[in-house]
This record gives sequence, structure tokens and C-alpha cells, in this order.
Amino acid sequence: MKQLLDLYAKASFIRAFELHIAVASEAGHVPGLVHLCSGAELVEVAVCSMLSGPKDQVTGSHRSHGIALAMGADPVAVAAEILGRVGGLSKARGGTQHLIAPESGFLASNGIVGAQVPLAAGAALTAKTKGTEGIAVTFFGDGAANQGAVLETMNLAVALELPLLFVLENNGLGQSTSASYASGDADLLVRAESFGLKTAAVDGYDGEGALKVAAELVEFVRSTGRPAFIEASVPRLSGHYFGEKADYLAHHLADDPLTDLAEKLDTEACSAVRAEAEKAAQDAVTEALNMAEACPAPSSGATL
Amino acid sequence: MTISTALNRAHHQLLKTDPSIIVLGEDIVGGAGLDGKELGGVFGVTAGLAARFGKDRIIDTPISETAFVGMAVGAAMTGLKPIVEVMFCDFIGVCFDQISNQAAKTRYLSNDKIDMSLVIRTTMGAGDGSGAMHSQSLHGMLAGVPGLIVVCPSTPADAAGLLKAAVASPHPVVMLEHKGLYEDEAAVDDTLPAVQIGKGRNVREGDDVTVVAISAMEKVCEKAVEQLATRGIGVDLIDPRTVQPLDMETIFASLEKTGRLLVVDEGPLFGGFADQVISAAVTGGHHLLRTAPQKLTPPQSPVPYGRLLEADWLLDAGKVINKIDEMLYQG
Repeated sequence: MKQLLDLYAKASFIRAFELHIAVASEAGHVPGLVHLCSGAELVEVAVCSMLSGPKDQVTGSHRSHGIALAMGADPVAVAAEILGRVGGLSKARGGTQHLIAPESGFLASNGIVGAQVPLAAGAALTAKTKGTEGIAVTFFGDGAANQGAVLETMNLAVALELPLLFVLENNGLGQSTSASYASGDADLLVRAESFGLKTAAVDGYDGEGALKVAAELVEFVRSTGRPAFIEASVPRLSGHYFGEKADYLAHHLADDPLTDLAEKLDTEACSAVRAEAEKAAQDAVTEALNMAEACPAPSSGATL
Repeated sequence: MTISTALNRAHHQLLKTDPSIIVLGEDIVGGAGLDGKELGGVFGVTAGLAARFGKDRIIDTPISETAFVGMAVGAAMTGLKPIVEVMFCDFIGVCFDQISNQAAKTRYLSNDKIDMSLVIRTTMGAGDGSGAMHSQSLHGMLAGVPGLIVVCPSTPADAAGLLKAAVASPHPVVMLEHKGLYEDEAAVDDTLPAVQIGKGRNVREGDDVTVVAISAMEKVCEKAVEQLATRGIGVDLIDPRTVQPLDMETIFASLEKTGRLLVVDEGPLFGGFADQVISAAVTGGHHLLRTAPQKLTPPQSPVPYGRLLEADWLLDAGKVINKIDEMLYQG
């Protein structure tokens, strides 16, 4: 139960963070569009809770705020980077799609769909070559599942025996295109299996199951030095980007995994502790965001 | 020593000195999964490396340029110093995202927190009947990507020395080696000292015209310069060696003497290295120029295959001499 409460607390932190970013975006404080991870928190926290940065390194897509936070990146620096402030991870050079915090084990997120996947193979190669016993994990969406970079890396990781865990977060939509359409109804787990990868499926609404599968597959990669693949079905609760208003979204409504987990925890008689954890997470986020908002924007020419 | 041997020895020296250096690419060991003898790369540059340093550091990859170049970028981000071989620069298109977006931008995007000690070695150049997709010279295109360093050696000493400088650089370096030069011999210092990136070389001195050329075109120009010298025409021949960053200081110093500029390049007629040198010369050194700067490149067409067609397409000493005569005749 302790583990599940922790999962809930960390996921709540990420959810509150994304909601604050949404508010900042609406207020015009974010330079560009933001892609929020709301709905995928349980899976992301479950996997990252099995890792230890910087020995382990993680790469993610354009939708990586939550993964960076789950790996322990400083929330003030993450928020300041998203807001384009000097206190940011890269002093506003990168922004929301280029979060780089290798000191915490979050190697990089990426602006090119699928491009983060071979980078993780490199982190895995470094761990293997240096014998650090670290592993690499790469998160990508169903939109990236058909990219050559991803498919090539699935093969390369098997061929070179790399300690690399692929985590496909299948939210059913690549931007506005359905995953089943884009993959010709192929079963992506079976596809991964055919590359020679050990595979497992995760239900993004099942926190307990996510923790169990994440523990198993991370342990497999770490102990054998070989790659594995998780397909996690997760909802995408806030559109492709925050503020998106398009007709297709009305046909893709989903329940919230955090609400489900809260109900489960409450029925198991820890509602007070659960509510307390949620409140603490929200307070911590408010404080972090206030600090990030207080950072100045870089002056013109300062980062060149 | 040949360029091929100099590069091979530089690899041996580097790998021996620094355990974080790895080498990877297609068929660089050769015969992976078979029991045959090692191939040592298509041009022999990586010969004997696997036997000495092991297959954990000298890695044959599947034919998956995107995946293995990307893997090398990720390895560089986490503390290794990969030297990656992309067999022909024509294959760059297959992995251009990993080069232009990942390798080139990561150090900047990390606010210089992450060094990108990545070297991509590849080949360039026509003249051996390899056809349109194994013969291009893409140094100019690569040099246009902010964040990339691009070098094109023309001698054994420069090839080995630039490789060493590239490995030591915190920026990603693409080194283009001309296929037609691998067996070129020249004397080298046994220690194969590093050559400063961004520093050109004055190959021949003369007062009549400045000729800028890299890689195999520098060799073509040397022949032209020798023949012109017999007629009393003095060419100041400069090999910038590094395409990006370009050593304009050396070129301006030469233009002060000659007032005339010719760029000879195997890259494209439109938007290539020749255009960039001329643009920099005009914008920064207009007052030094007595005549309009000129360029000599192959025509704006894919490299043809047939022997005579390819020979027509290529530049040679005769074409260089004609161009210089034309420039001097016109003033």
C-alpha cells in the first residue's frame, strides 16, 4: 500500500505541475505550445521509480515534463525552462521539448518524433561499455511506433545486446491520427516480440500492475543486459497540445487514471493519507511554479 | 605513408590512449557473425583494431544508419567518444535527423552541459565509377548546419591530425575523406600530431591569383599550379582543411597579395562551399578584390556513371588552368 500511495503522490505532483503549466500557457507565459502528459503519470512514475539516475538514463518525446520530474529533475528548473527563463535547465535555450537533466537520469526529450529512441541506445551502450550496471529507458508514443528510428533501434538493441527498455505509451492517437489507422491495426506488442524483444503489456489505469511489470522488466534488462519492451495503454487527457480545440477530441474522451487510483486507495481506508499526499504535492508544485515564474527571462543575446 | 595508413595508425594511437573511445559502423571489422578474417573496413582504415582492442569497442553494426548514428550521439552524451563510420556521405540522407538535429544541437540545447565528442567519418568524391549515390561531395551542405564542424583533409598528416583534433573537440565533427586520396603518399611525423580545427594551410605561394581548394580538388590544383609556374604565373594555393569554421584570415591575407580569388570545389555549383567562400570574401574583403571572384565546380547535375561522362563532369588540372588564364586575361 505504501508503494501505491507513493505512486499516487508522485503522479499527483506531475498532474498538478501540468495544470499549473496549462494556466501559465493560457496566461501567455509560455513561448510556444506545450504537450502535457496528463493521463500517463501512473505508467511514467511506475517505470521511473524502478530507476536510479544518473546511473540509469531516460529519454522521452516532446511530451516529457512528467518523465523528467519522475526521474527527479528539479521542478523549478523544469518549469523555468518551459517558461523560457534563466533559471531553466538550459537557461531557456531548449524549452518544453528539449528538457535535458542527465544529472538526474533524464538524458533528453526531443522535438523529432522517435528521435529520442536511438539516443537511449547510446546511453545503454555507454553503460555496457563502462560496465556501470546502469540501463537506459526510452519512452515514446504510438505516433513514433512507425518511425524508422524506433524500428531500427529495436533491431539494433537486440543485435548488439543493449540494456535498453522501450516503453511505448499508446494513447491511441498520433496527433489527430488514430493508432490503429497508422499501424494498419497491427498489434504493436506482437510486432516488438517479432524483433526478439521480451515484452509485456501494462494497463495505464492499473497502478499496481504498472509497478509490477515495470519492476519485472527493469530487473530483466539490468540482470541480462538485454533489451525489453513495454506497451502501456494510457489516455491522453489534454489534447495533442494544451488548448487544442478540434472536433476529433470529442470522440476520444477517457476516464482519469488518477481518479481511479484515488478511489481504490480511499476504499482501502487510507483516504486521509491519500488526501494529505495530494495536498502536499499541490503545495510543492505551487511553490516551485512561483519560484520559476519569479526567474527573469534571459535578456536578448544572453544565450548566444 | 598513405592517408589510409595514417588514419589507421591514428585510430590505434587514440584507442590505446583513451578507453572512452569506441569505433562503430558497417563492416568496419567485417565478417561479423561469420568465422572469416577481419576486413578492416572498405578502405582499410579500421584494419586490425578489433583484434587489438576487442569487439566491445570496435563494433560492427547492422545497416541502420539512423539507429547507429543516433546510438553514437547518445553514447557521446553519456561519456563515450565514438568515432562513427558512415561508409559514403551519400548515406547521410538516411540519418540526417540524427546528425542535423541530435548531434548538432544537443550541446547548445543543454546550455553546454553536455559535450558532443562525436566524430563521424565518411567518404566523398567522384572519379571511381561509383555512380550518383556513392560519389557526392556534401561538405557544403553539412557545413550549413549550425553546430557541426566539417573537415576535409587532403594529406596523410592532415587526415590523422584532424581526426585527433576531432576526437578532442567538445563539438560534433564530420570528417569527409576523399575516396580517390586514400592511397596518396606523403611524409608524416611518426607521432601524427593533432591539426588545429579551423586553421588553413598555404600549400603554394604566389602573387597572381589566390586559389582555395580542399580535399582532392587541392591535389588537382597543385598540378595546375605547377604547370602555371612554368609560364611564370604565381598561384597562392590555400587548403582551408576545415570547411566549418572557415579560416577566412588566411584567405584574406592571400587576397591582400593577389587581389584575385578562384574557388575550386567538387561540391555543387549552387549553394555549396565555393559560394560560401566567395560570399565571405566579398562581404568581408571587397576592398581586397581587383576582379570579380570566380568559382569552378562540376555542373549542377548528379554524378554520371559512364567513364567519359564522369570524366567530363569532374574537374581536372586543365580546367583549372583554363579558368585561371581566363581570369588573368580579363584583368
